[in-house]
Amino acid sequence: MTIQITGTMLLQGIVSGLLSGGVYAMIALGMALIFGVMRVINVAHGTLLMLGGFTTYWLFALYGLNPFFSLLISFPLLFLVGLLLQRFFVSRVVGAPELSSLILTFGLSIFITNMAVMSWTSDYRSVEFLTGSFLLGPIAISKPRLVTFSFALLITVAAFLFLNNTKIGKAIRATSQHRELAQVCGINVRRIDMITFGLASGLAGAGGSLISIMFSVFPEMGRGYVFKSFLVIVFGGAGNYPGAFLGGLILGIVEALTSLLLSAQLSEVTAYVLLVVLLLLRPTGLLGGRT
Amino acid sequence: MRWLALLIAFIILAGLGTMPLYTSNYIITFTLQIFMWIALAESWNLISGLTGYVSFGHVAFFGTGAYTAAILITKVGWHWLPASLMGSVTAASLALLIGYPCLRLKGPYFAISMLGLNEVVRALVSYFDSLTGGGSGITLSPMNSILPLYYAMGGIALAGLVITYWTITSRFGLRLLSIRENEVAAEAMGIPTAALKLYAFLISAALPGIVGGFYARYVSHIEPLGTFPLITTVTMIVMCLFGGRGTIFGPVLGATLLSLFQEWAWARFLYIHEAIFGAIIVFVILLMPRGILGVLQQRYRLPRIV
Repeated sequence: MTIQITGTMLLQGIVSGLLSGGVYAMIALGMALIFGVMRVINVAHGTLLMLGGFTTYWLFALYGLNPFFSLLISFPLLFLVGLLLQRFFVSRVVGAPELSSLILTFGLSIFITNMAVMSWTSDYRSVEFLTGSFLLGPIAISKPRLVTFSFALLITVAAFLFLNNTKIGKAIRATSQHRELAQVCGINVRRIDMITFGLASGLAGAGGSLISIMFSVFPEMGRGYVFKSFLVIVFGGAGNYPGAFLGGLILGIVEALTSLLLSAQLSEVTAYVLLVVLLLLRPTGLLGGRT
Repeated sequence: MRWLALLIAFIILAGLGTMPLYTSNYIITFTLQIFMWIALAESWNLISGLTGYVSFGHVAFFGTGAYTAAILITKVGWHWLPASLMGSVTAASLALLIGYPCLRLKGPYFAISMLGLNEVVRALVSYFDSLTGGGSGITLSPMNSILPLYYAMGGIALAGLVITYWTITSRFGLRLLSIRENEVAAEAMGIPTAALKLYAFLISAALPGIVGGFYARYVSHIEPLGTFPLITTVTMIVMCLFGGRGTIFGPVLGATLLSLFQEWAWARFLYIHEAIFGAIIVFVILLMPRGILGVLQQRYRLPRIV
């Protein structure tokens, strides 16, 4: 099987990669925030994404709600879910050895995913709302991908503005820079933990809503995204939030080019190989950051 | 005390060894599965229970072993026993490939890399379909009797137990425990933490490699989806945690109790046991982090070596 790879095809791959990369970046930002503030890797991040996807699906299937409008529901809903998860479960393992938080969130994700299987079965469902693509010069741009990318970009920018300009955002960044010192300065870090977890879950939920427009919705849809988000964080450098954005775009492009040049099946494999090589050569990420 | 322990061990081994003489096939098959889970839970215990580095992808080694054995049996014509033993070599090689870059780093790099590993190995197995049969998998000719497998699986469970005993009672094990308690301090004391973690990981990966080979022989048909299910990793983790991580007999206890539970729950509710496993994980981490055996150790002053 040899297909002539032309420059146009490469460009096409890069463009579609960039479009998915924007969504990856938004989802990974949530994971990076939790990791930065609490030193916790939330293995249930993909599960929260799945809940966001189902929120959009049900609102669309039952009430015919515009999936993009349902972002206004899935984000706050998942914010609340995240707040409660943090309040009752994760808060107990903040500061404990890593094993506790990793396995705790893993257990939560297994529990929630299987509850979803029991309530909604493991059928693949889809939100058929926006389909087709348009041509921009020689390049075909998928409409759902372009629109989801724009929304993801919008939400990511909003999150950055929130982190940089509001008092709570500054408190979040302060806590992630130095937890004890932030506490000494009068920041209620437990409260910041809750808000951070809520915000991160909201970002995951919004990611799920956007993904449901492009791909199928099913209880295990979020599984790959924990790894992807982590990859994005490592690409960008831990604790480096703008780096996470760049990391998302890189991951998108790598996946798209692998599908184009080798096989769609191997897109995860190349991303994985890239992670291992990166960890060997530059464990602090491409842009540098704290380990 | 020592003689008593040896006597009890001898009685249990003799009982299990002669069991095929007087029990039904159902009990034998069920015990074989418990052996499998004991070996798998002990293998997870070796890396995660002792060093505190969480492996979310141990099923990748299990699956690698299963495919290695199945390929050697069908394409090369090996007997299943050496073929399964070769599974440990491929599984350990895979572990070396992942462990070397990831275990040098502290933090969650290892855990999440292992989370992705499973999907990657499955994708590779599906991709190289001339060797692995792709999505339709590999079928082995049926076996006449399950008994050789019963003894083989019992042997590997015992080997897992002995390796864990040897590890925990040795200098090597104490050093691994020091990594779990405080890695920076351990390093400062001159313990080569990166190398030791890697050794523990290699042993820990070799065991499921062999078990996977036996499993392939046992089910006689393997395909990517059924050989790399996330639930296998979940089950190993929950069994080890529930029984008591970092102990010798904790995984045995967890594997036995939860296998019985699984057998009971499966007949009644199809999906609920996975959800319950998730709930047990959450429960154990929050309320009983040392597991059943850990609690008993504390309450009744049992020796550290149990």
